[in-house]
Amino acid sequence: MESLTIHILLEEFMRFDVLSWRAASFFFTASSLHRASWQKTQQMRESYNNMQILSQHLLFRRISRVSASLVALCRRARRGRDKGALCSKNSTLHPSNMLSRLVIVSASGLKSSGPLGAGLVQASRSLHTSSQSLAPVPPLPEKGGKVRHGIFPEEIFQLLYPKTGVTGPYMLGTGLLLYMLSKEIYVINHETFAAASIGAVIIYGVKKFGPSVAAFADKLNEEKVAKAQEVKDLAMASLAQAIEDEKKEQWRAEGRSMLFDAKRNNVAMLLETNYRERLHMVTNEVKRRLDYQVALQNLHIRMEQEHMVNWVEKSVIGSITPQQEKESIAKCITDLKVLAKATQARATA
Amino acid sequence: MTLSFFDQFMSPTYLGIPLMALALTLPWVLYPTPSARWLNNRFLALQGWFINRFTQQLLLPLSLGGHKWAALLTSLMIFLITINMLGLLPYTFTPTTQLSLNLGLAVPLWLATVLIGMRNQPTHALGHLLPEGTPGPLIPVLIIIETISLFIRPLALGVRLTANLTAGHLLIQLIATAAFVLLPLMPVVAILTSTVLVLLTLLEVAVAMIQAYVFVLLLSLYLQENV
Repeated sequence: MESLTIHILLEEFMRFDVLSWRAASFFFTASSLHRASWQKTQQMRESYNNMQILSQHLLFRRISRVSASLVALCRRARRGRDKGALCSKNSTLHPSNMLSRLVIVSASGLKSSGPLGAGLVQASRSLHTSSQSLAPVPPLPEKGGKVRHGIFPEEIFQLLYPKTGVTGPYMLGTGLLLYMLSKEIYVINHETFAAASIGAVIIYGVKKFGPSVAAFADKLNEEKVAKAQEVKDLAMASLAQAIEDEKKEQWRAEGRSMLFDAKRNNVAMLLETNYRERLHMVTNEVKRRLDYQVALQNLHIRMEQEHMVNWVEKSVIGSITPQQEKESIAKCITDLKVLAKATQARATA
Repeated sequence: MTLSFFDQFMSPTYLGIPLMALALTLPWVLYPTPSARWLNNRFLALQGWFINRFTQQLLLPLSLGGHKWAALLTSLMIFLITINMLGLLPYTFTPTTQLSLNLGLAVPLWLATVLIGMRNQPTHALGHLLPEGTPGPLIPVLIIIETISLFIRPLALGVRLTANLTAGHLLIQLIATAAFVLLPLMPVVAILTSTVLVLLTLLEVAVAMIQAYVFVLLLSLYLQENV
């Protein structure tokens, strides 16, 4: 079924006016998205995680089916144009049935498929105007879709694998190329050489500078994250430090009573010292005053004594009359003469 | 179908519908809109980085009045670079090979700078017509020469871009034709010619980027003189 579909698809692709085909497919995709998106948001959100891999496969099936039916429609339209309008009794190919089916099939197929669906939802957000569009949309995938040889999506290979194995897509590519060359759909001329040279330049550029550019882009994002992380780390470190400081303060607060005791002791000692000093001072002052009194009394006694002695002497000396004085002096002289005689006699004896 | 060498420069039409508008606007599709997310994919990160760096570098010598031109100059640069680079692909049409487009870009922008200068600081703008330190007798001649050079600027801007791109594309076509024709006759010479073609393609890639940059740079210089 798939290979037939693809064959039809490719045949028509070759024969068809490329621009109008592309315009038609773009138009129906856009209109179907707008109409079906708000219906499908709920469903999509629930089934998104489960259906990812399977739905990619389903997507391609649906697209091929849809394009095949579209191609059939156009073929019928052309045939109708050539032969005159002829409505077939076959309801599956009736135009009015088919377009609505096309719309619903393509919309749900596109929405529930993996990264492509998520990308379409994100890109068409400007078209979502109802309040249902305020619901969270599925996140975009981190890395782009896998590609082989730089341009061909991996999904094509997976699609063709069941029917044609590993070499299927390559045979398809070779066949396509040879078909286009032999039927002179693509003519080799000087532009081929120009294409080859620019292709070589591009491939060389991508191969040589691709990894470094990717690393640079990753570094830009890493720096962004690192800056935010640094802020977060600093905040966390400062908060942890604050917790430590608080704990230390609490421990310090426990020793408060000891501090107060010591201070109290200090104060008591100061008071004691002060009291003793004052006591000492008071004692000294009192002693000084008492000493003064004692000294005063002594002085009084001494003065009285001296005064009395002087008075006695004065009175004695005054009582000595001149007669007495002469008698005492004469007596003294006689005593002295006697003594001298005695001494002289002692000296000669 | 055989192509003459100048068919690549014909304005593209399809069934009578001119496609010039498409050719000018479709490169916009190649640049993703910056999303509301904080961390983007690599392409968006690179795009944002490039635009920021380029605008910063371009606006460094400009005074504050010239900063109003930032969006215009950066978007012009991205436009020209994309169109030039896309034109190097085979069978593509390069809008910047059309003199009408380039003059259409150069004349209004140059005229805008001149009018801004004349309106805001006429003396200073007119002073650019006479370089400093010219000897007396030379002054009249020099003023005439400088005026002519002033009016030649838009022509030079437009024609420079047109001529470079057209010449490059023509050369690629010619040398590719030479290689193509020589291949059955003298394969070795054809291989040499192909080597020349590869080198020329490299040169054309460089020229595409440089010409776009020179266009925008000269406009910013003219703005710097007048703002």
